[in-house]
Amino acid sequence: MSRLVVKNLKKKFNSVWALRGLNLILEPGEIFVLLGPNGAGKTTTLKLITGLLRPTEGEILIEGADLRKDPIKAKSHIGYVPDEPFIYNKLTGREFINFVASIYKVSRADYETRLAGLLKTFDIGEWVDELSESYSHGMKQRVIMCQLLLHNPELILIDEPLVGLDPKTSKTVRELFIKLKEEGKTLFVSTHTLSFAREVATKIGIISQGELKFIGDIDELSRISGKKDIEDIYLRLSGEDGDV
Amino acid sequence: MSDFWSILNARARMFYASVRSLSAVRTASFVFVIACFVGGAYYVFFRVFGYLTTVEVIGPALLDRVIEMALFVFFIMLLFSNVITSFSTFYNNRELDFLFSLPVPPTSIYLTKLLENCLYASWATLTIAFPLIVAYGVTTGAPTLFYPLSIVSILVYMVIPAAVASTLIALILRVFPKLGPREVIMISLALILGLTYLYVRINNPNLLKIFETENEQTLLLFAAQLTTVGGIYVPSTWLSNIIKGFNGNTAVTVFNFLLLLFVSASSVSVAFLVAKTFYARSWLSSGEHTSKASKRRSLLWNPQRQTARAIFFKDLLTFVREPTQWVQLSIFLILLVVYVMSLRRTPIFFTFPLWRTVVAFANFAYISFVLATLGVRFIFPTMSLERAGIWAIVSSPLPFRKILLTKYFFSLTTAVIIIEFLLISANLFIKVERGLYLVMPVIGLFVAAALVSINLGFGSRFPHFSEDNPSRIAAGTGGIIAALISITYVAISILLLATPAYNYLSHTFMARPVNYLLVYAGFALFLAVSICAIFIPLRIGITSLERRDY
Repeated sequence: MSRLVVKNLKKKFNSVWALRGLNLILEPGEIFVLLGPNGAGKTTTLKLITGLLRPTEGEILIEGADLRKDPIKAKSHIGYVPDEPFIYNKLTGREFINFVASIYKVSRADYETRLAGLLKTFDIGEWVDELSESYSHGMKQRVIMCQLLLHNPELILIDEPLVGLDPKTSKTVRELFIKLKEEGKTLFVSTHTLSFAREVATKIGIISQGELKFIGDIDELSRISGKKDIEDIYLRLSGEDGDV
Repeated sequence: MSDFWSILNARARMFYASVRSLSAVRTASFVFVIACFVGGAYYVFFRVFGYLTTVEVIGPALLDRVIEMALFVFFIMLLFSNVITSFSTFYNNRELDFLFSLPVPPTSIYLTKLLENCLYASWATLTIAFPLIVAYGVTTGAPTLFYPLSIVSILVYMVIPAAVASTLIALILRVFPKLGPREVIMISLALILGLTYLYVRINNPNLLKIFETENEQTLLLFAAQLTTVGGIYVPSTWLSNIIKGFNGNTAVTVFNFLLLLFVSASSVSVAFLVAKTFYARSWLSSGEHTSKASKRRSLLWNPQRQTARAIFFKDLLTFVREPTQWVQLSIFLILLVVYVMSLRRTPIFFTFPLWRTVVAFANFAYISFVLATLGVRFIFPTMSLERAGIWAIVSSPLPFRKILLTKYFFSLTTAVIIIEFLLISANLFIKVERGLYLVMPVIGLFVAAALVSINLGFGSRFPHFSEDNPSRIAAGTGGIIAALISITYVAISILLLATPAYNYLSHTFMARPVNYLLVYAGFALFLAVSICAIFIPLRIGITSLERRDY
């Protein structure tokens, strides 16, 4: 069974089409990186798959569960990191992690074994017990990554994972993504960081004006575009090379 | 000053854009509710003032005392509300990060925020003050000039508490830069309360004996004999002198208007000087404050076995850690306790069983209306306050039904405690008939369940995820619609219960036969309306949350 199946997904905001019929299949052990200019439909796609937006048309199946018909089952397989890492201001990082762990019903044993390791991995110090209103963007991002991995989802959706992270944590995140892929997890990542895409992606999608223009691995994209450098490939396939 | 006007211009454009974005239905609902409220308040004031003028000998003096007392209370209320909103407006506001990054003097930012805070903290008081003054003018046959000059005077008057509150907070933050919002607000409120008490005690000790009067006649004489309620040093006295001076004493009006204008300008000047010296530094130091939550005390220290419990603890923690929330609730509750205590200390009318029953019924209506207000202020914004974490909840395998029901039972528990405490203790003080001891708390349960549902349901139907200030969420069009529906529900309930109450009274005190059909019909209709008010708004809320884009 495919981990994620997206069929003819469309989204219209008032009279504007933000997504015009997206089709996508992701299997376990894949890292799919969605590239595209601002306003291309990347965040809309992620929000549709997480249930934060309702599709105008189309179907989303997560581990075979239809997101529209059986949202609870479908959502139990996913973990999501938004582009803006909002946390309740009046909760500490640890309280937020514990709150999400409660929602996903993480067992006591799993909680205790995983949390200590994750706090260490993301270099989360004593500030985890301070109210999150005092956190920087990067600190919030690390707490959200931590809560995401605590409930161990099969499909991980991340919008701009490297924004606000320091170089050390960025490197940790890249290594972690590769490790998760090797464990059979599926990652769906939206980003502007092309070097990140080149480094971790097993499959790259380029979206522009709500349409998935191309999908494939880096070699296929290189062949289609006739370019070798990831930046040139991106600019050519997203139709932005004319502006450069 | 050009910076000030630029910021103000941007704010005015934002306000204009938000007004233009309102639909005709929402605008009409808003205007209707405000008109009903102002019209109703005017009617009540007009009737009360009309009655007072008919009281022989002491009537006119009594009317003056009522106006003075009302304006004095408004002044204290304005001070309170300005203090509560000041911290979030001047120091804990995301827009300030942007404004302070601009090449704009802090004083321009301060003046814009002073104006914003003044309008925001005073509009509710204005909606009561306006009909009060118009009713006074109509009752006393004041000249046409009375109305515009009174309104200008009120606008000048409301600047003073805004300037005082912002100066007080700036000074406290300057002296104790490490204090958090909770401590700053608490110190400010304690100072205001303490100084008010001392002032009244020194200036007008008779005012504190108001609860010790024995009967209506003594109360009326006592009130008439009081000199000026607030004393000559408070702006409320000057404002009341302006209003009263229209009845033939122009010199008094002019003198007090100039005095009010001078003090208002002076208070803004002092606030401006304090802001010039301290504001930027105080704002910077307030940003350095970090609250460390206690590991031992935190209710969310460990993950909860039940998701409902996790949501409950999360809501509880975010509520108690937000000073503007619990400070306002505490003030509401203290006022309610004072109200209930006043029933014990003021045994006017309570000699006859008939009057006791009437007062108990009126008390029930009043408490229900108060609960409706509390519901709009504290329950309506609950769903909107998920703002920051809504992505975590919506993307999780947690049904909206469960989220809303958890919040419902959390709010219902609080509402039931409040309404039952108020009803039972008030009925004990009033010494109502035995049957009412049992019936009213049961009715109170239904009222609480319905009001919580209306506010939570419509709060979910009209959420305001971009706003993090609960007072502003409640003051939005959705909040006004919820308020309208809550008040309508309470009014219908009272009308329906009036039939059984009337039958009960006429049977008990006038020995008339009971019309059981009407009694049962009254209760049955009340139950039917309440059940609809419990289930329909919740259903609307759940459906709306499920069908919404986030």
